[in-house]
Formats: sequence, structure tokens, C-alpha cells
Amino acid sequence: MERKTVIEVNHVDAGYDHPVLRDVDFKVFQGEVFVVLGGSGCGKSTMLKHMIGLNPPLAGTVRLIGDNIWSGDPAERTRALRHFGVSYQSGALFGSMTLLENVLLPLECFTSLPPSARRLLALMRLEQVGLREYAGFYPADISGGMKKRAAIARALALEPEILFLDEPSAGLDPVTSAGLDRLLLELRDRHGMTMVMVTHELPSIFAVADRCVMLDRAAQGMIAQGKPAELRDYPPNDTVRRFFNRQAEGDKS
Amino acid sequence: MVVKFNNAMNADEVSALWTRTVAEAAASQSGATLTLDASDCATLGGAASALAVELRRIANERGLKLELRDPHGSLDTVFRVFPAEKFAKIETGLSGRSHSLAAQVGESTMRIWRDFVEQLAFLGEMVSGFLRLMFHPGRLRWRETLVCFERAGIDALPITLLIGFLIGLILAFMSAASLRQFGVEVYVADLIAIGLFRELGPIITSIILAGRSGSAFAAEIGTMKVNEELDALVTFGIRPAMFLAMPRVVAATLVMPVLTIFAVTAGLVGGAMVLVSMQVPPVTYLNHVTDSITLPNVLFGLGKSAVFGTLVGMVGCSHGLQTGRTADAVGRAATAAVVGSLVLITVFDGAFAVVAYFAGV
Repeated sequence: MERKTVIEVNHVDAGYDHPVLRDVDFKVFQGEVFVVLGGSGCGKSTMLKHMIGLNPPLAGTVRLIGDNIWSGDPAERTRALRHFGVSYQSGALFGSMTLLENVLLPLECFTSLPPSARRLLALMRLEQVGLREYAGFYPADISGGMKKRAAIARALALEPEILFLDEPSAGLDPVTSAGLDRLLLELRDRHGMTMVMVTHELPSIFAVADRCVMLDRAAQGMIAQGKPAELRDYPPNDTVRRFFNRQAEGDKS
Repeated sequence: MVVKFNNAMNADEVSALWTRTVAEAAASQSGATLTLDASDCATLGGAASALAVELRRIANERGLKLELRDPHGSLDTVFRVFPAEKFAKIETGLSGRSHSLAAQVGESTMRIWRDFVEQLAFLGEMVSGFLRLMFHPGRLRWRETLVCFERAGIDALPITLLIGFLIGLILAFMSAASLRQFGVEVYVADLIAIGLFRELGPIITSIILAGRSGSAFAAEIGTMKVNEELDALVTFGIRPAMFLAMPRVVAATLVMPVLTIFAVTAGLVGGAMVLVSMQVPPVTYLNHVTDSITLPNVLFGLGKSAVFGTLVGMVGCSHGLQTGRTADAVGRAATAAVVGSLVLITVFDGAFAVVAYFAGV
């Protein structure tokens, strides 16, 4: 059975003023965890910003469930924006709001549910990430791992079909990181959610990724695409081999 | 009572269903049957799940008999993941911070006390730093001080000149209107010169400095604290108060008299324009101005402005150093720096007036 395509990145040149990546082209299918990986400074986060509508690509298009996020038509862009939630690297929680208020914010802005329903729904989202008991805490009062989970709860508030995650495991201890990986897999299995994760944390990649694409600064584009285990076992080039074997430049294999 | 869930219920439909069914369930008599029918529903969306949990919670609370029609297990999944008992109380009292009045009063008192102690410690550190600098001026980061001097002084020159000019103009118009009745409008020149040098010049300039630079000092240092740059200084063994605050305070202290001279000069030009338009000869105006500007008046005004500069610099930097670790804390620090500076400027201006009166200056 052919799987439904939810994200189409078509021949994108990524960058701000001049391209750092050229002709990036891939598809993400429904219900899969797709990882964009690569070394530091290779343009992963820039690529993510093109995909979530923050910065326009220099060339090419990004379609989310058929809607072009960089369309000139505001209605199409708005539709595209509703398809996804984003969990940012730092959490990007609003510091003046409690966790509950952070999760409530999109529900208050974009649903007509009664206040008690919104509140219960927000608490359920926090329960999903194991933070219901911290609903009244402010972001400054919780740990880095909890902030990331709270950010995921907020991203899930409007039940998006796609969840983008920017470096979800960065800066977390291995146990917290593994817990976060499990949470992501639960969300995928329970809700059939599609996830795009930008990371270079190998344990997380092997734990959650169905497929991945590898970007490279020197090659100015994609250098590999496939299942993480396949890329590790049969690396198509030296850069991929070094990445999966954690080898520094110049190290002998 | 039967609540039927459909497969593709959107938020608006759930919203209407919620309003109707929750009120009805809450009004039901104990022992009544509440049926949740999800027979057409393979999975429940988020809002529908919330409704199911809320109805189950009400059923438990009011002693209703709950009947589930759940051939696909969708309700079962929701209740397994979100047990209604966990959501029995969804009041606001979930915070890690206290909400009772007594606790808030206590926390505020402790915060004020801590602020006071920190301000006092900062003041002590700055005074000892100033004393050390007097004997070892080379220890000051002069490059940083000059950058602060430029930002607080040269960059502020246009606004200072404009406001000084307008104040002189307004002052001349207002006083000339009254003094003209007695045919002594020429004394407006004395009034403007003394008023600007002794009072208005230092006050206006210090308000500009507080608004432009005091808030900027607090925001800069506050942001550095949020970014853990202050922690980096501490771990190097560098005292942030001396490293960051001293150049700013010295720059603010030195720049204020200079800016005041510019503000007063612009004010005198503004006053001259009004008086010349009232047929007062420019030479007469100039003579009155030079006669009324005595050395004690000038020194008093410039000394005052230097003190105001120190106050603005110290208040701005101390609030920056005491910033919390969030973005809104930086905003609060900048606001507090301006408000604190204005209060202290007013208090010290009053003190200067009393001292000048008794000293006969």
C-alpha cells in the first residue's frame, strides 16, 4: 500500500543571503519519524526554518499535506501552518506564563472550546508528557528536560499532524534523553503523528528514526538518505561513515 | 442521558456538545445513567477525549451510573491514558509558587529585604572601587568606558540639544508673558540662565540619561546574566560589579556635566530667540546672561549633574546585576532602572536645594 506523503521538500536551496545547501529534495511519509542530521553548522536548523515557514528558501518549495507554506496565497500558508507544531531547541516557553498557560495559549487563540474544556485539554497534554503536576510551575522553575517536554506538550495542543523537533535531546542526560525518545515513539504509535527531528545525537537517531537525510556543509547539500542502520552499515561515502562511527576528520578507520 | 461521539468531530462540534452535556450531567440526579456512545468512533480526537474524561469525572463525582458503548476500545484507551481521577481538581492551585496572601506578603517582604541588601552591597563595592580607582586609575577599563561615554553622551547629543532648546523656548515664553506686564521682560534672560544652570539643565539631562542609558545598562547586563556571561566572569574570579558596572558608572558621571552644558547652551539659544523676537537687543540678553551666570551657580549645576550621572549609572547597573534569569526579568530590570533613577534624582535634587539654601549658594 502506498504511503501518504505529508511533507514534500522540492529542490530547495537553503540559506539566508546565499545558499548553504543546494537542491535539497526529499519526502516524508505519514506516521514516520524522519531525522534531518548532519554535523554542526551544516544547515540543519536553516532547513528546518524553511520547512516551518520562518525563513523563505532561496529556491524550491515546501509542501505540508499538499499546502505550500511559502505560497503567496495567505489562506494556503495559514492552512499549512495549522498542520504542524514545533518544539524548539531551547523550549521557547514563555517565561511569564506557567506551563499550563503556555499550553493553553494556542487553544485560547485557535479553538472555540469553553474555558473548562481548554483547561482540561491542556492538562491532558501535560499529562501526556508527564508534567501535569507541574502545570502551575513557571519555566524558570523546571529543568531543561522538563522544558523540552513542556514545549512538546504546547506543540501538541492543537493536535497537529506533523511535529517538528529541533535538537530535542541536546543538553539532556542519557536517561532523560531516552525518556524523551520513548515519549516521541508513543506519540507516533498512539496518534500516527509524523515527526521531523533535527539532531546529531546518534543514540536518539537509532532509537526513534525510521528514515533520515544527511546534510553536509562541504558538499553543500544532501549526501545520503535512508534508514539509519543502513547508512551506518553501508555508508555511501566517507563523510557518512565518519559521522556514524564518530570519527574526527583525519582519523584512520 | 446519552452522549454520542462521532469519528470526525471538529472542535466547534465538541464545543457545542461540551456546553450542553456537561451542564446536563452536572445537573443529573445521583443514580441516573450516563451513556458514552463511541460505537461509530475508532479513535477520539483531543477535544472529544477531554469531553469523555470530564463526563466520567462528573459521573464519579455525582454518583451517576456510567455506561460505555465502546466496541473499538477508543474510550477505554482515553481512560487508560487519562484516568478521570487525576483530573478531579483542575483548580489553579497547582503552582510551585505560593498563592496565599500571607505567603505572598512574606515573599515580597523577603524580596524587598534581599534587594535592599544587594543594593547596599553593590553601593559598598562601588565606593571601594571608586577609592581604589583614585589611586590606580589605570585599573579602569578605559576602552569600555569610552564606548559607554560615546553611547550615553555623543549619541544622546541631538535629543539633549532639542529638548534643551525647547525648554529654553517654553520657559522664555511663559516668563516673558508675566514680566512684560511690568516692562521687565529683559530679566527673562537672568531667569533662564539661572534656572537652566541650577535646576532644569541637570534635571532634564539626567532624565534623558536615565531613559536612554540607565535602562540600556540594566538591559545589557541583565541579558548577560540570562546568557550566563556573568557566571563566566565569576568563575574567572572577576567581580561583575567592578568589571561591568564601573566603566558605565564612570562614563555616566563624566558625561552628565558635558551633556548639561550642551542642554543649557541650547536652552539659552531658545530663550534668545524668544526675547529677540520681543525686541530685546541680543547684546542686552547676552549681558544679562553673563552677569547672572556666576561661578558658584555653574559649579553647583555641574556638580549636581555629575552626581545625577553617578546615580543613573549605579541604579541601572545594580538592577542589571540583580536581574532574574528570564526575558521578562530583563524588561522589569530596565523599567526598575528608569523608575529608580527618577526617584533618586528627585530626592537628591531636593537635598541639593536644602544644602544650597543653608550654604547660601
